[in-house]
Parts: sequence; structure tokens; C-alpha cells
Amino acid sequence: MKRRTFLAGLAALPVAGPLAGCGLGGSTGSGSSASGQVTGEITFQTWSLKPKYTDYVNGVIDAFQKQHQGTSVKWVDQPADGYLAKVMADASAGSLPDVINVPPDLSFPLAKAGQLVDLDQNLKEAKPEYLENAWQAFEIPGKGGCYGFPWYLNTGPIFYNKALFTQAGLDPDKPPKTFKELEEQALKLAQSKKIAMLGQTPTIADFGLYGVKVFENDKFTFNDAKGVEFVESYKRMYDAGALIPEALTQNYTGAGAKFMAQQTALNPGSAYDLGKFKTDAPSLYANIGISTPITNTGSANMFLHGVSVPRSSKNQATALAFGRFVTNAENQVKFAKLASIFPSTSKGGDDPYFTTEDGTDEARVRVAAAKQLKTAVNYTPVQFSDQMREALLQQLADAMLGKKSAKQALDDAVAECNRLLK
Amino acid sequence: MKLALRYIALLAVLAISVGPFLWQFATSIKGPNEDVFVPDFIPNDPTFGNYAAVADVVPVWTFALNSLGVASVNVLTNCLGAAMAGYALARLKFKGRRFAAVIFASSILVPFEAILISLFLVMRGLGLTNTLTGVVLPGSIAALNVLLLRNAFLALPAEVEEAAIIDGANAWQRFTRLALPSVKGTLVVVALFSFMFSWDDFLWPLVVLSDQEKYTLTIGLAYLQGTFVQNQRLVAAGTIIAVLPLILLFLLLQKHFFRGVGEGAIKG
Repeated sequence: MKRRTFLAGLAALPVAGPLAGCGLGGSTGSGSSASGQVTGEITFQTWSLKPKYTDYVNGVIDAFQKQHQGTSVKWVDQPADGYLAKVMADASAGSLPDVINVPPDLSFPLAKAGQLVDLDQNLKEAKPEYLENAWQAFEIPGKGGCYGFPWYLNTGPIFYNKALFTQAGLDPDKPPKTFKELEEQALKLAQSKKIAMLGQTPTIADFGLYGVKVFENDKFTFNDAKGVEFVESYKRMYDAGALIPEALTQNYTGAGAKFMAQQTALNPGSAYDLGKFKTDAPSLYANIGISTPITNTGSANMFLHGVSVPRSSKNQATALAFGRFVTNAENQVKFAKLASIFPSTSKGGDDPYFTTEDGTDEARVRVAAAKQLKTAVNYTPVQFSDQMREALLQQLADAMLGKKSAKQALDDAVAECNRLLK
Repeated sequence: MKLALRYIALLAVLAISVGPFLWQFATSIKGPNEDVFVPDFIPNDPTFGNYAAVADVVPVWTFALNSLGVASVNVLTNCLGAAMAGYALARLKFKGRRFAAVIFASSILVPFEAILISLFLVMRGLGLTNTLTGVVLPGSIAALNVLLLRNAFLALPAEVEEAAIIDGANAWQRFTRLALPSVKGTLVVVALFSFMFSWDDFLWPLVVLSDQEKYTLTIGLAYLQGTFVQNQRLVAAGTIIAVLPLILLFLLLQKHFFRGVGEGAIKG
């Protein structure tokens, strides 16, 4: 459950301009039921967008229904908590809605089980409308086929607490840019003032940012020398008190709360977090520092969401047309502006909204993130399931506590992940 | 001295159990522009506006009504069904009685997540997905309640029943006139437990229901945790709304509750 908010919580990037103004008529392809008439009723399931974006989603649905007379779209929104369980239960009962909002790591098991419509096969002409790295995120690696229309992306800066930096004698205008600097500054913070820098042990995406080859040739490989070096660095920080004790079991949301409580000095975040700081942690907001993500590869991490059409849908033609409509440039740019996220269409990020600063912190973060998205990578392999995330978390906790060496913990985590892969 | 220590210990436990709740309450009445992630129990700018805002954001009364319906039916089916099953296990003589009791006990050990999908498929087979009946059914007679009542019935002296048999009472009469009235306390416990479990249940209603109009309060309140935005004050106000009925119910029934807990504990 936690992971859901975590995924939705960050994400990625932008580019692109309005292309296909709207859903172009009956987008279809060669598949059997996929090439039918665009008419009739479908159900569209989203990931926790009510009530904040109710008007937006209803607007999109109205526009679609107007454009395709005779269609009717029923919208259901599911809370983020339990989303995975809900989708899996529906999938095994063959009762998935016609269009579902899923991140790549959720579309992957469904696609592998043959439950999703292949867009490469049925709607190849849609491909150029999206960013290449976003479209690829919904492919099954090594097998081809695309199983979801890319929807919104996100990436973000890191936020840090200038007041805590100053207290420990660090330069509040020189936040860490590399993992080496992160460790140096974290140790200083912990040793001089007993302030923790971080609220979380590394996630799989952090390994990617560190430059570890996470997944190769159908196998997890993050136990290489670089991965070990990375975990050893965290171990040193943990021993010095640079990670809060809760870090061992904490997810992204929990770490965010600790940062807002000013118990940690640095946390990765998203453009929309600024609004949260303003209302929920005003005394933090007064001292907030914003910097580029810490990465050894030059690329930031990105997250994305998409919409997929299950093969069990009785009205695939309409479902596909709607999926393409929701994710077209116009609708995505509108949504991105509303929610402080970024469109995945090929020209969406060219909108002046994402390229010009107006002097506010929000605009600064937005423009920087949009730039960062051009080279951003989704470092979390689609094969990485919730269970694997748990396994990694546990092994890292063992390594931090000194129950295992970093190498041993990573070997065990990789072995477990590869076992779960089968 | 000893007494002082005892009270200090009691106060510490009170702080641990009530503290988070107070914090949550304090958060729920904090005005905008106050830090919500630091424990400060006295808001600078207290307001009850967050409670009204919750109702604006989600149709909280519809959700609460659904929850109330589900929970009430659950209380009824559990009190009645579990009492009948418990009585049979405790007092009626039939082949496999012990075995049946073991089955009930062991079913408590199966984690709900493990049977979630198969249970969902069953509901689908029965055509009960997306109905409140589907929400109620799996928990309508909980094994734990059956065992609680079985123990309560076992605690009654067998002689009383034997006397009733001699007087010509049949099993049904003994159950309704003799056994039931003497386990009132445990029945209250069962009622409270089943109300609480069904009021708090999240995963199962979430999986079974698809239409927002049918959502129960716990799922409905999850909407306060939006994907990109969430207002902690509203989340806190929502939780307070959700636990209020439980607290009221407990206060009303606490006299019976404590008697009931003792009642079943006499014999194992």
C-alpha cells in the first residue's frame, strides 16, 4: 500500500506540445474487438484523483462523449490505499474496468499474464504522440509490445532544511550534489549536532541514481561492487546517526512526514510538495532550500502513470479511443498545470508554462524539473514488485544494524528478487 | 511511595494510549498556516472548520450511513449466529463436536489477505460484488465470536441445564430461556467487537465495492489522502469523525463490556 503513494508521489517529466488536439475519431487497429465502433458504455478507473480533480476528469469525459456521440463513460476512482489488491482481485475475476489507471510496475504483471491490450499491435500510430522514454516504460522489456498509454510524469528536486544546515555549520547554499558530498555533509550534521540527514534507506531507484546496474539480462544485478559501496556508505551514515532510526522500515510517505516535522534535513520531493510545506509546515517553508537531485549518472529519476485497456473489456474500441483521449497533449497539459506534474506527450513540455520562470519558487521548481525530465530515467525496473521492495527494505535494515555485511545483504536481496521474478 | 510509582506507571500508559489521539484531535482543529507535523497540543488558531470541510470534500454522511448499515447487520448476525453456533459447540452432543471447535479456532489463524482473492471470486460467483450484502457476508459470523460465546456457555453449570432437561425443556427452549439470558455480558462484547471490526474494515469493502455511493466510511475517508495533495487537518478531522461512534458506543456499553470479558474467562 505504501508504495502506491510513494510511486504516485514523485515522478517525472515533460516535454512536448500539443499535437493531436484531441482524440481523433475512432482510433483503432487490427485487433478483433479493438477495431469496432466507438460507441456504447465503458468504465474508467483512476488512482485517487477524487475529489480534488473531479471537475477536471468530468470535463475530459464530457468532451469525449460530445466528440463521440453514443458513448458513455462511467468514472470510478479508487483510493490509493489497497489499489493493488483491488486491481489484482478484479483481474483474477475477469472484472477489470475497461480503462484503468496503472503505473508501469502494475501494468507489467497484468501484461505478462496476457490481460492487457497491446497498443503496438492495435494502435501503432499513437506512438509518436508520446515521449519515447514514457512509451518504453509500458513495454515488456525484451518482449516488445506496449501495454499502456503513458499519462502523467513526475520528477523533482531535493528539498533541504536550511536552518538545520546552518545549525551544524554547513553552508546552507551548498547542499550536496553527489552521493559523496551527501555522506560528508550527513556525517558532519550527525556528529556536530546530532541531526539526521535522511529519513529512508535507499530505494531501488536510489541504486540507479548511484550508477548501479539494477537489472540486466532478465536478472536483478544490484549486488555488484558499486551497489555494495553504496550500501556501505549508508551504513557509515547510519552508524553516525545520520539516518533516523525509523528509516529502516520507512517508505517515501513516512520519510516525507519526518522531513516536514523537521527531524531530517534533506528529502527528495516534487513540485507539488511546496504547497504542502506552505500549509502543513510553515516554519519549515520559511527555511526551505531547493536543489537538484543527487545523482552520479547525470540523469534524474522519474515516475510515471499510464492508462491500460484490459483484454477482458467488452468494448475495446471505445476503451482505446478514450485511453488515447485522456492522455492526449491537450488534456495532459491541462492536468499537469492543475496538479503540478508533467505531461508525457512528445511536445507537452514545450508549453511556456514549463519553460518560463515568473520568480516564484513554484515556477522555479517546475522549470527545473521539466528540464530534468528530458534526460530523466525511470530507474525502478517494471519487474520490481511490492514484495521485492519489502525484501530489499528488510535486507538493508539487516545491513544497517550490522547483522549482515552489505555484500551479504545485497546478495540475499538479489537472490530473493530473482526468485520472485519467476 | 509504592502508590506514587504505580500512579506514575498508570499515567505513562495513559499518555501512550491517549496521547496520539489527542495529537490527532489537536491537528484536526488547527487553522491554516500552523505546523501540523510537530506535536504541539494547543493550536494557536483553533477552528472546527475542518470538520465542515470534510463533509464538503467527501459525502461523509452517505458513507457513514453505509457503514452504519453494514455494522448493524453485522452485529445482529454475529450475536445471533455466533450464539447459536457457540451453544451447539458447548452444549449439544454430536459427532465431531470437538473437531468442529478446532476448525473454528484454526480458521482464526488464516490471514485475511490469503483468502481475499478466493473470497472475491466466491462473491462474484454469487453475484454479490458491488453490493453491501457482499461486504457483510464474510464477516457475518466470525469464528472468534463463536469461540467467545462457546466459552461463555461452557461456564454455565451443566446442572442447571440438566434440571431444565428433566423439566422437559428441549434444546431450543434451553437456548433461548436459559443459556442466552445468562451470557448477556458476552453478547455485549460480541456486539461491540463485530461493530468495531466491521466499522474499521478497509480492505474487504474496498475490494468488493466499486461504486462510490456504496462506499463505507473507511474507504470514503481514504479519499482525503489525495494523490498529489492532502490536507492533514482534514485527514485528522475525518479520523475523529470515524472513531466518534466507537467511543460513544464503548462508553454506553462499558459496564456490560467489562462484566462480559470476565464472564467468558472463567473456563478455557
